[in-house]
Amino acid sequence: MEEIWNALSRALSFGTPLLLASLGAIINERAGVVNLGVEGMMAVGALAAFAVAYGSGAGEGNLYLAVVAAALAGTLLSLLHAFASITLRANQFVSGLALSMIGLGVAGLLGKRFEGFPLFNQAPEWPFTLGAVLLALVLAFGLAYTRLGLVVRSVGENPGAADALGIDVLRVRYLAVAFGGAMAGLAGAFLSLAYRPSWTDGMTVGLGWIAVALVIFVGWSPLRAIGGAVFFGLLYYLQFRLQGQSGIPTEFFAAMPYLLVIVVLALAGLRRVQGAAPEALGRPYQRGER
Amino acid sequence: MRLIPDPNPPRLRVLWVSLGAIAVALLIAGGVFAAYGLSPLEAYGTMLRGTLTDWKGLSEVLRRTIPLLLVGAGLTLAFRAQFFNIGAEGQILMGAIAGGGVALFLPLPPALSLPAMFVAGLLLGGAWALLAAWLRSRLAVNEILSTLMLNYVAQYILIYLINGPWKGQHVRGFLYSDEFAPYEQLPTLPGTLVHWPTLVLGIALALALQVLLTRTTLGYELRVVGENPGAARYAGISISKVVLIMALITGGLAGLAGVGEVAGIHHRLLEPAQISLGYGFTAVIVAWLARGNPALVLVTAPLMGLILAGGDLLKISLNMPFRVIDVFSGVMLLCLIASEIFVRNRVQWRGR
Amino acid sequence: MRTRWLLALVALLLGLGTTTAQEKKLKACFVYVGPIGDVGWTFAHNEARLAAEKAIPGLETRYVESVPEGQAMPVIDRLVSDGCNVIFTTSFGFMDQTLEAAKKYPDVIFAHASGFKRAPNMATYMADFYQVYYLNGLMAGALTKSGKVGYVGAFPIPELKRHISAFALGVRAVNPRATVNVKWINAWFDPAKAREAAEALIAEGNDILAFTEDTATVVQTAARKKIPSFSHYNSMYKYAPDYVVSGQIVHWEKIYIDFLKKVQNGTYTNKNLQDVDYWWLLREGAVELGAQTGMPINPKFVPALKAAKMTVNGKQVSVYDRVMELLKNMSSPKPTFDPFTGPIRDRYGVLRVPAGKTMTVAELNSMQWMAPGVVGQVADEPKQ
Repeated sequence: MEEIWNALSRALSFGTPLLLASLGAIINERAGVVNLGVEGMMAVGALAAFAVAYGSGAGEGNLYLAVVAAALAGTLLSLLHAFASITLRANQFVSGLALSMIGLGVAGLLGKRFEGFPLFNQAPEWPFTLGAVLLALVLAFGLAYTRLGLVVRSVGENPGAADALGIDVLRVRYLAVAFGGAMAGLAGAFLSLAYRPSWTDGMTVGLGWIAVALVIFVGWSPLRAIGGAVFFGLLYYLQFRLQGQSGIPTEFFAAMPYLLVIVVLALAGLRRVQGAAPEALGRPYQRGER
Repeated sequence: MRLIPDPNPPRLRVLWVSLGAIAVALLIAGGVFAAYGLSPLEAYGTMLRGTLTDWKGLSEVLRRTIPLLLVGAGLTLAFRAQFFNIGAEGQILMGAIAGGGVALFLPLPPALSLPAMFVAGLLLGGAWALLAAWLRSRLAVNEILSTLMLNYVAQYILIYLINGPWKGQHVRGFLYSDEFAPYEQLPTLPGTLVHWPTLVLGIALALALQVLLTRTTLGYELRVVGENPGAARYAGISISKVVLIMALITGGLAGLAGVGEVAGIHHRLLEPAQISLGYGFTAVIVAWLARGNPALVLVTAPLMGLILAGGDLLKISLNMPFRVIDVFSGVMLLCLIASEIFVRNRVQWRGR
Repeated sequence: MRTRWLLALVALLLGLGTTTAQEKKLKACFVYVGPIGDVGWTFAHNEARLAAEKAIPGLETRYVESVPEGQAMPVIDRLVSDGCNVIFTTSFGFMDQTLEAAKKYPDVIFAHASGFKRAPNMATYMADFYQVYYLNGLMAGALTKSGKVGYVGAFPIPELKRHISAFALGVRAVNPRATVNVKWINAWFDPAKAREAAEALIAEGNDILAFTEDTATVVQTAARKKIPSFSHYNSMYKYAPDYVVSGQIVHWEKIYIDFLKKVQNGTYTNKNLQDVDYWWLLREGAVELGAQTGMPINPKFVPALKAAKMTVNGKQVSVYDRVMELLKNMSSPKPTFDPFTGPIRDRYGVLRVPAGKTMTVAELNSMQWMAPGVVGQVADEPKQ
């Protein structure tokens, strides 16, 4: 029993940054914009949070401000993507890739002076986890039952029709991308304030990419994102928990989370229960075009 | 100011806009350098002087260009078919594994070894992409997700091999395979790491793919599938067949690049991150800048090669942190794709 | 001016190299495999570079970080043309290119960390922790209540097998029934994996942790669960002052300063390095016991270690005294103790070190077997 609780708590802990970031990405994708730059935004968020929380190093930095700073930093970076892909209608996939490079690069450069210092005022993990789960519920409800949710979905499914109804497609998309950036920033804050309270270049270790994959994995549903994040978190933890319990090579367990994500999606495909991607996902909107 | 769509932009405008975008990128990156306390002029001077004016630098550009050329050319095809393969990293590694496996364990006459290594790399790299394509066409598994996840799987397969059954006898227990025999190593241009046979292969394949895309039925079908799947279905084109062939090509070329890296530079298998080096992602940029034309990769791959090699110089000569390269190529890329709109549209200035 | 002539005269009289040795500008350049960041392997080399620069007047240094393995040659080319006359390459994976470069540039002096190939102008060097790990093991054996000590390992290469085995020998010397449980993360740098591997070890009942990874993640994770841990490679005391017992600290600068001084005064030239192999340990001060320089054992844990007893040659002594005695012994000019002194059987019962023998450097460097007490999967391990 204790074993199960422990595994579940690990799943929630590791799953928290994934859930935070993928919730943001779900919203911007539901509005029709893919952002592959999550890894970069996460890195920038992690640095911003650490820098503010660190203060002079004595543990007097403000944690609340740190969290806000992370969200802001993520948002700021995401606006680059918004400008390129929404206003200038650049290819979203490539723009996102560029964003992840810029984010990792900028965070690495600016973060040099914070490397190797512990954070004395560490944040607890549970508020992030709880907040993420609650937010998932709110977003699920909001998307399905509120006017704002309808607006977001219509912009992602059929921007032409939304435009005809008087919805400002570009503005909605900008806001959705900004939300995605803020959430990726928060995921970064979780990493540098709570999960591993310090800053190191490269500390996001690919979690942003997994968050991007999770969005697809959970079929763009905030509710299922909770399950998806916990599922992946559990697998990630179990790769170490199961290691050495049998003669199976350690590398097999290390590859297991990634393999199982594919397998589960394939099984869903077999039963045809996959969530469908938003119709206009990845396509820039231009008036008069259909 | 108004933008008027122009489906067939004149070549000259493409050139001007691209140059303009590069100029803007240089300005922005210059700002970053200045913020870092380094004169942008000195930075650019170092990058250009060290890459274009001496043979050593130029050879570095070429070395970086080789994998980008192969992977990039394959990716243009994938993107044309709307197959978002971001798993070239994994396909490079699978190619390296196949090539390495042949080199280490398949007793072949020396003359056949290298060709067999390349063929094996082509097949396994292709199979790795094919898996993702098959998952998409049969089970509707999104290829962005599957190719990304397969990257990790490829990494662990390689680690497993060099950590276990393929670990070298003469590496003192470190994670390396044994060294390939001399005839299993690619020749390089004297004094450099430029394994020219791979370079030649890359150039030839980029051109061949261009022909395939524009002059053959398969190329036509591929374009239709990418641009208008509905029409393809209507025209009786087997979408899944086209996508599977395309995947085989895109993954196969990445596999070839993997063979080139291990046979030309490392001469053994080693930790995955030391082999693929992010080429799979950088090649996405290369392919995108080529605007879906495999032949144009002959221009865009050296451009990215120049940026990578120039970035190395910033690291070496000016002691800049290695992240500087990420910022630089990210900014460059963003400017180039953001400028796309001025290629596809004519700008009309109107007085009020 | 006069002193310089005087020095030159002395040098001439002593036959120590040429008069220009003192004047020769020394430019030492470092090729790193990783980024400088945080508290890992490359960070330690870079700190040592800075220390050497401070210690040796007239020394100019440069570095290049994140150079991929197998691709050091172009970097070395560039460094040589920029005037570097001593080049340190700090990863095993640079071995072959360093050798090649040594042939290509016979006037430049090369030194390669952790390898075994040398040339007239290429030396090798390594600072190793195995003695320190044994001392850490003694403390871990005394402090564990569950008899289970956890270890987060990067890759199962000889270096780690040697360290984990020395650690396990120490643990078992105090607590013969204790185990050292290993989880591999297959990465040198990965805080997320280090954290989850540490969590898994704690969940399995390990109540003290040691590790090999390039961040302080394991130390921080252990502290959160109020579990003692041992820091690795650099000073990590500040990350968890109440929970870090001790650890291993490297002082590459001892090697760099010694080597560069000998280059400067002409002892080392581009002709006589064929047999120069630094294998520096506690005796030379290249490694240190502790979680922070100057603090071999965290004072918080001293009472517990003094209270813990172990049997040495049939006599009861406190673990604290034993650690201090062995530390003094191994730090002395003529150590009489070595953790890998036979008879030692591996964990399958095969005799690996016969009675009265100690392992040679070459054996330590290619060690594949694991000491008794180590639990967990270990790749490439001989079973007979």
